[in-house]
Amino acid sequence: MEWLNPYHLQVASFMLINAILGVSIFITLSTGQLSLGNAGFMSIGAYAAALLSTQHQVPIPVGILAGSLLAGAVGILVGIPSLRLSGVYLAIATLGFGEVLRAVLINWESLTGGAVGVAAIPQMGRVILSMARDGGFSPESIGLRNNQFISLSVFLVLLLCTLLSAAFFLRLSRTRVGRAYTAIKLDESAAEAAGIPVTYYKVLAFSQGALLSGFAGALFAHTTSFVSPGDFTYHRAVEILVFAVFGGSEHLLGPVFGAAFLTLLPEALRAISEYRYILYGILLVLMMVFRPQGVIDPALLRRFRRSPKETAA
Amino acid sequence: MFLEQLINGVTLGSIYAIVALGYTLVFGVLDIINMAHGEIFMFGAFVGMLIVSKAGAPLPVAFLGAVVVTAAMGLLLERFALRPLRGRPGASHLASLISTIGVSILLENIAHKIFGSGNHLFETSFAEIRFEVGPVTIYLVQVVILLISLLLMTGLALWLARTRAGKALRATAENLETAGLLGVDTNRMITATVVIASAMGGVAGVLVGMAFNYINNQIGLSMGLKGLAIIIFGGMGSVYGAMAGGLILGLSETFVVAYGSSGYRDAIAFVAIIVILLIKPQGLFGQAHAEARR
Repeated sequence: MEWLNPYHLQVASFMLINAILGVSIFITLSTGQLSLGNAGFMSIGAYAAALLSTQHQVPIPVGILAGSLLAGAVGILVGIPSLRLSGVYLAIATLGFGEVLRAVLINWESLTGGAVGVAAIPQMGRVILSMARDGGFSPESIGLRNNQFISLSVFLVLLLCTLLSAAFFLRLSRTRVGRAYTAIKLDESAAEAAGIPVTYYKVLAFSQGALLSGFAGALFAHTTSFVSPGDFTYHRAVEILVFAVFGGSEHLLGPVFGAAFLTLLPEALRAISEYRYILYGILLVLMMVFRPQGVIDPALLRRFRRSPKETAA
Repeated sequence: MFLEQLINGVTLGSIYAIVALGYTLVFGVLDIINMAHGEIFMFGAFVGMLIVSKAGAPLPVAFLGAVVVTAAMGLLLERFALRPLRGRPGASHLASLISTIGVSILLENIAHKIFGSGNHLFETSFAEIRFEVGPVTIYLVQVVILLISLLLMTGLALWLARTRAGKALRATAENLETAGLLGVDTNRMITATVVIASAMGGVAGVLVGMAFNYINNQIGLSMGLKGLAIIIFGGMGSVYGAMAGGLILGLSETFVVAYGSSGYRDAIAFVAIIVILLIKPQGLFGQAHAEARR
């Protein structure tokens, strides 16, 4: 069981959290809206969950749910006025929303702990471990050390959350709602002329993205057991956007792949760690030059789907 | 007190205006937000710092050095990160945004490698020279900054309005294809725009070093975000909007810090754009069609 290295599991956990963030930006992008506010919504979920569990002893799942819903509700509030904007205007206004939110987090010290942030947030894995011990289960009985068990349980919880959110929104894209999103993305006026309530669906997509970002933020808080305003800067907002653009924003799997790959890449480049972000920057430019639609596009997916049949025939 | 703050605000605002002009020129011509502009500006500041503080050379040399380096960076940026994306089928309008973000990450980390993350002193020989005009203290640095900014802005406005090249640039901004059909070498105009915008960023970098007396590898980001806010506030692609927006932001930041709380200083820019976008989405000086154009 030595291969279950807590470090590897932690990297994998961050890949999953980022994958959820990737899905969240995909949802808003699927109506053609570019939002850079997802880092801000993530901070709402993270702080809500963190404060509920540290100051009010709310159980973790309830805190996560509350954090996500709060982020979603703020998403509706931000989404309605933002509808007047499009393209880069929306992008920068939402980026501004994130920056204002971060200034509030830094300055509202009595609630948020200011620039220091919130520490000693119950960590999911430790809570699961103590619950397991109370239930008479010991990690040693399946040959795991405590820290391995903690990391593994966090990973499994996150895997479940990621799969559920990805599956939900993959299903959604094949429903009436998903088709409405696509119609709005392709041509807003035509969609409106066809009787699709554009405003409703755009706000819906915006708040769904916000809710999912908040969800990822809440999971993040209970994974790292520490949050600070520094976790939700401009860099985070851009990182989330880059997941979608690198992976491809035509299909839900694109941002998920982008998130996983780009989280793994800096770790894999740790051997040349001094230069890894320099390489990361070069990689982004090269991607845009040689494959601007992102790694995963519908053509690639079709090829994957067809190939088993061809080999069978 | 009020007058001194007013002078501080105008000084800061004129630097903001020059940073914002760099964004607005590129956006006006290419419809691209150059996310690397803040980092290019930062390199201007670092080059100026090396020349002034480390080599002890006079200030004009620092401006020259910063302009040469940042202009070269603009040239490379256009050649390797923007031109290959132009006119490609299937390229989304986000592609250039991302590729300039890539350049900004690259530059930010190169600066971090070379200069570290600490503050670097930016010493000018006349930093302490000041005049007393009645009850008001004015620093010579502030006067120099104002003069250089005014010169730069007037020069740019005249160049755009009066010269043949400026006309070609405006034509390219109006409509790339039509300008090309009418014999404007649009590729050259685009390169010129990015180079000029970057060189202005370099000048702004040296001005910031003079104004604050220190620089670090974070100023690119914070100044870049403010520049973005200003062009939204003033209206995308509007030269006068960038100037006015810069001044307004510089003044409001100075007065909020002087008479209110300093904690929210960096949020002012974004509160301002959220408000303006809700009232007049095309920005203070923007034309109505700018919105439809994306």
